[in-house]
Amino acid sequence: MSTATVHDQPPTSTKRQRILAPPVTGQEIVLLGVIAVLWLVLGFTTPAFMSAGSIQPLLGAVAPIALIGIGMTVVIITGGIDVSVGASIAVCSVIIAKLVLVQAGLGLPVAVITGIVVGGLLGLLNGALIAYGRVHAIIITFGTANLFLWLSLKLFNSSTVNNIPDTLAALGNGSAGRTAGVPNSFLITVVLVALAWVYLRHTAGGRHFYAIGGDQLAAQLAGVKVRQRILIAYLLTGLLVGLASCIVVAQGSNLGQNVGTGKELAVIAAVVIGGTSITGGRGSVLGTVLGALLVQTVASGVTQLGWRSELSDLFVGVAIIIAVGADLIRERARRKR
Amino acid sequence: MSVPTTAEPDSGQANPRPPAATATESVPARIIRALLTQRIVLLAVLIVLVVAYFSILGAGGYLTASYDFDYLSAALINAVPLAMLGFAQLIVILSGRGGIDLSVGAIVSLAGMIFGFAYGQWGWPLWTAILLTAAVGTVLGLLNGLLVAYIGFPALIATLATYYAYKSLAVVVNNQRPISTKPIQDLYESTAQSVSLPLIGDYIPDVPKGIFLFLLPTVIVVWLLLARTTYGRRVYAIGTNDVAARWSAIDVRATRAGAYALSGLISGLVAVVTVGQFASARPDAGVSGNGMALPAITIAVLGGVAITGGIGRVSGIVLATVLIVWTNAGIRLAFEGNAGPQYQLLALGLLLVFSALLNGFALRRYGGVS
Repeated sequence: MSTATVHDQPPTSTKRQRILAPPVTGQEIVLLGVIAVLWLVLGFTTPAFMSAGSIQPLLGAVAPIALIGIGMTVVIITGGIDVSVGASIAVCSVIIAKLVLVQAGLGLPVAVITGIVVGGLLGLLNGALIAYGRVHAIIITFGTANLFLWLSLKLFNSSTVNNIPDTLAALGNGSAGRTAGVPNSFLITVVLVALAWVYLRHTAGGRHFYAIGGDQLAAQLAGVKVRQRILIAYLLTGLLVGLASCIVVAQGSNLGQNVGTGKELAVIAAVVIGGTSITGGRGSVLGTVLGALLVQTVASGVTQLGWRSELSDLFVGVAIIIAVGADLIRERARRKR
Repeated sequence: MSVPTTAEPDSGQANPRPPAATATESVPARIIRALLTQRIVLLAVLIVLVVAYFSILGAGGYLTASYDFDYLSAALINAVPLAMLGFAQLIVILSGRGGIDLSVGAIVSLAGMIFGFAYGQWGWPLWTAILLTAAVGTVLGLLNGLLVAYIGFPALIATLATYYAYKSLAVVVNNQRPISTKPIQDLYESTAQSVSLPLIGDYIPDVPKGIFLFLLPTVIVVWLLLARTTYGRRVYAIGTNDVAARWSAIDVRATRAGAYALSGLISGLVAVVTVGQFASARPDAGVSGNGMALPAITIAVLGGVAITGGIGRVSGIVLATVLIVWTNAGIRLAFEGNAGPQYQLLALGLLLVFSALLNGFALRRYGGVS
């Protein structure tokens, strides 16, 4: 699909028409600009912002949101949504922290694999219900969110998990969790985002997700295994939730019962700020990472300016309105041409 | 059936409906058809089963307190905010185009704080304070409506954004402190307390006041609005097919924006109820824990509202609320300590998943749920 030959073009057209979206879309350039401006302004107004001690936790906090954002981008591209990721984080985190690290005292590979497997199972449940039950994704994931939350609270057993050993330090915020000054969790995110970007853009499998989001029936008639693809989208989200949960657990030695609360909305916010269309068929993981970076920059900036931390939610809301509003206006202009 | 022929779903054309119940259909088949296609029948059966189950558990001494009619009646106070927000979701989801309102909980928080200021601190009379709160809710909802109907935001995104914004404002407006002055504390008496009904009060259990002051008026007004006014029929029409509605000279945008404003108005009234119930205007009243939007959407779906718009009834919302409230009331007695609220989550999740799967199955097997 990525090779547009000259024969495909109408003979009168002098301009070469694109089939793929440009590698970096307008929305992403604007986001980059906004983030750059924010960093410069914050750097000048609050000297502490530009220090390593401020940037490193910022990147560490972006990592789980952006990681889950990869899966959520794919899900939203297919025209679905997953509001259960917050509860899935709670389930994966408590299993990793309480069962694997505290009670069994196992090592990092076991913890990571357990997290990914558990997350994958939760995602598989969502995907199976949505793809084969043929029910609206938002309804099913609202329901499974409740189920997952129950499961996590059951595992927490009414107490926080304390004294988590630093087995996962390589993913944490400490000096053991950094390579050349950059948090490992952020590096993992960058690598996975790059892989997802290439996969979604340049392989047939990746383009199938866009086809489903564009027109599910047309995709089916064109030979896309629609149900299987949708199942894979939710499974992928689940796997990434498992990995992100390892990073969440690695952040500290305690794990509260409210872990993951509201994360689903943070991830969806990052995805839509990044220019992915909620109606499906359009979007990129690069935008999602930038969206997550913007949200975290705002949160970090608000705290550093000494404002109430709750105020950052107001800016996130406004950012969503502006980002999606700009996209709507551009879309309207595109249709007029 | 409150859905007249003018608002029939158009899905039937692409996928012809199976013929209606014929005389040849056996009695069990007819019962199953009624259970699957008429949501209120299913809900009524489930309510009877739940009450019977917990009553038997109670009679056998397995519950921490008796699950009798007084208890069930007192538990109905929890139905007031739930059912009202269920109506808010009903109107918004009916209006179609992926209509949903994630911001109701945040509106409850913010409008509740405004009510706390007006009634608790500025010393406004109760009615003016309630009017102000309702007006604030309407304006907040109208903002959603303008974004969705006039600018074309997907409802999920617009209300997600305003959820964040309103939630943040509610916390910041009074520096995260709740307002619980004397007049606010006295409100508890007038909303949550149970009263004995005149004339028939001796024969039935006492009922919480909030049911009469807020829930019943809302039920009647919403039912009249949706089933008996032009505006209500227009909401069904735009939810069913907004292109056809526009060709019928309906102002689709204004109608849809109005649905979100109504949702805000109801959320504003819920704010008053919530402040009375907690005897305090809390900045996180509507968003703490799972928030209020999720249970409200659950009730709407459980009540048979089609998420694609145009199909849904007031009676479904009422029965779904009663089912959830009485199930939760039973679970609270069956488990001690924190386990109760946890199992309420399980019950809510299972109900939602199964009702959604059932909707899908009924749609394929019988051509729809009403």
